[in-house]
Amino acid sequence: MAPRLVFIFLSAILINNFVLSRFLGICPFLGVSKKTDTAVGMSIAVTFVMILASIITWILNIALDLLGIPFLRTIVFILIIATLVQFVEIFLKKTSPGLYEALGIFLPLITTNCAILGLALLNVQQNYTLVETIVNSAGAGLGFALALILFSTIRERMELSEIPEPFKGTAIALITAGLLSMAFMGFQGLVKL
Amino acid sequence: MMAESKFKILANGILKQNPTFIQVLGMCPTLATTTSAENGLGMGLATTAVLALSNITISLVRKFIPDKIRIPSYIVIIASFVTVIDMLMHGFIYDLWKTLGLFIPLIVVNCIILGRAEAFASKNNVFSSFLDGLGMGLGFTASLVLLGSVREFLGNGSIFSYHLSDVKMFAMILPPGAFMALGMLAAFFNYLGIRRSKAKKAEK
Amino acid sequence: MRDYFKTGITLMVITIIAALVLSVVYTIVEEPIANAELGAKLKAIREVLTDSDSGELLIDEESIPKTATELAKFEWFPEGFSASEGIIYNAESNQGKVESPAYKFVKEDGTEIFIAIGIAVGYGGDVKSMAAFVKEPDGIKLNGIKVLEYSQETPGLGANIANADVQKRFYPITKEGLDEGIKVDKDAGVTPVGDQIDVRKREDGIATVSDVMTGATITPRAVAFSLNAISEFLEKAGVR
Repeated sequence: MAPRLVFIFLSAILINNFVLSRFLGICPFLGVSKKTDTAVGMSIAVTFVMILASIITWILNIALDLLGIPFLRTIVFILIIATLVQFVEIFLKKTSPGLYEALGIFLPLITTNCAILGLALLNVQQNYTLVETIVNSAGAGLGFALALILFSTIRERMELSEIPEPFKGTAIALITAGLLSMAFMGFQGLVKL
Repeated sequence: MMAESKFKILANGILKQNPTFIQVLGMCPTLATTTSAENGLGMGLATTAVLALSNITISLVRKFIPDKIRIPSYIVIIASFVTVIDMLMHGFIYDLWKTLGLFIPLIVVNCIILGRAEAFASKNNVFSSFLDGLGMGLGFTASLVLLGSVREFLGNGSIFSYHLSDVKMFAMILPPGAFMALGMLAAFFNYLGIRRSKAKKAEK
Repeated sequence: MRDYFKTGITLMVITIIAALVLSVVYTIVEEPIANAELGAKLKAIREVLTDSDSGELLIDEESIPKTATELAKFEWFPEGFSASEGIIYNAESNQGKVESPAYKFVKEDGTEIFIAIGIAVGYGGDVKSMAAFVKEPDGIKLNGIKVLEYSQETPGLGANIANADVQKRFYPITKEGLDEGIKVDKDAGVTPVGDQIDVRKREDGIATVSDVMTGATITPRAVAFSLNAISEFLEKAGVR
């Protein structure tokens, strides 16, 4: 059992990296990667919500199946995520203003981060157990963090270099992401079953 | 005059405010589903349908929804249409449904849809909202088909499965190829834009 | 306070309407969805029931199931096996599973054909393959396979398993090959070329995929695992 968990974890971080090979969560990846500080903040917020959301959606999915209404899955999941994000925001504001200061602005953005909904749906699709779901979510969150923080450091460096006019902005960011994604493809042979 | 302004709304999304290349929205499905022109087209049309329908509905009910719960209400409406489209595709175009997989339910979190609901449908009448949704959707579809064609041609030597060449650059179908192809296309459109504005300046 | 109620109720009304609309749509499309799923399965069954050498159907056109009830007649539950959570058999190596139900067809001349769906973990999720095994006098042979589910595999790489030419590299395999166990060329440590590809596949169970699926290892390996699981299942059921 343990090797399977390790496999799920490593696969979620490196091989099936959410951003670089599954293309989930590209919007924040391109949007908040200009500075490393914000990238770190966003990563923590996303990982946190990811783990919480997938636990709740996992439990709710059982309820949906029992009630025989699996077709309401998408709508229920997205509402849960939206509510959860709100709730986390209020909770942090009350209990730890410091953390709220740091994460506050990212929280509303997370609702429309497809990585969260994507993860919740994937966990269900894969028929993961609760433990596997948690491990997979932690891996996905860390993978997202890894990609985002790496990318932000590259972009900080890029600020200093001379880029041809047409490539400025999104274009060069996408090409850089492509190179990063290529590097991550090297992890493919890492896990042998 | 009237007809012209309607046409403007429609064209706005396709060219001037193109969701992919100008607004840089909805990147996840753009990158993930464009391994071939056909998949890009399928994804684009599914998104267009959701966009047009949700814009119509939101415009219809916009007066009844209190401002505070605007966003959750929109999300519910959008999610409903996405589920409907998902079920219809599952039942009637099974193969495409299988290929697009996870990305159909993920239309819910496509920022374009919520963005248009908030920026346009919540302020305009039903017909204009429909046109706006249709225009944005078609603009999105056009970008996806373009990117899909480029990747399929470079990676597999074909467009819409129509064989064109034997040169196959595998990497273009793989994830890195998606980023690079889109980056190159974005740079190309930037270049056109820069050239046009320069020409305008020269005229003056 | 009244404000809270108002917003709460509005949101509730919207959600209830949405749920109602969805339920209605669901009832309408439930049948087409079931048909589409069944259609895909039946199409696969027809494909694996096609003789891989002669290209002819192994059983009569008439006997090929066309509806769910017809298909149910061919369901096969060997003694000593029970299905739990849709799985009838777990491979000893823990690397493959067999989905329940399996199917059994009988040719006019009494030859038995077994069809089952094997599941193994691929690159990003489960890879499902259907396979037909024919019980010939000199032993059981793998006649054909069809990879059914591979949606989590990398597009352009692992997902190339969808290619019929790639899948052909996994069948037919004779009794000797099945005894050796099916494996991809990379794991077998050889790289057959030319005519050898076919020979090694039939006799040694080596599926050469490195030339048609450059770079992808995990997906074809998953297919091999799932086929081995079915073959092991048939052995345990006493038909191999």
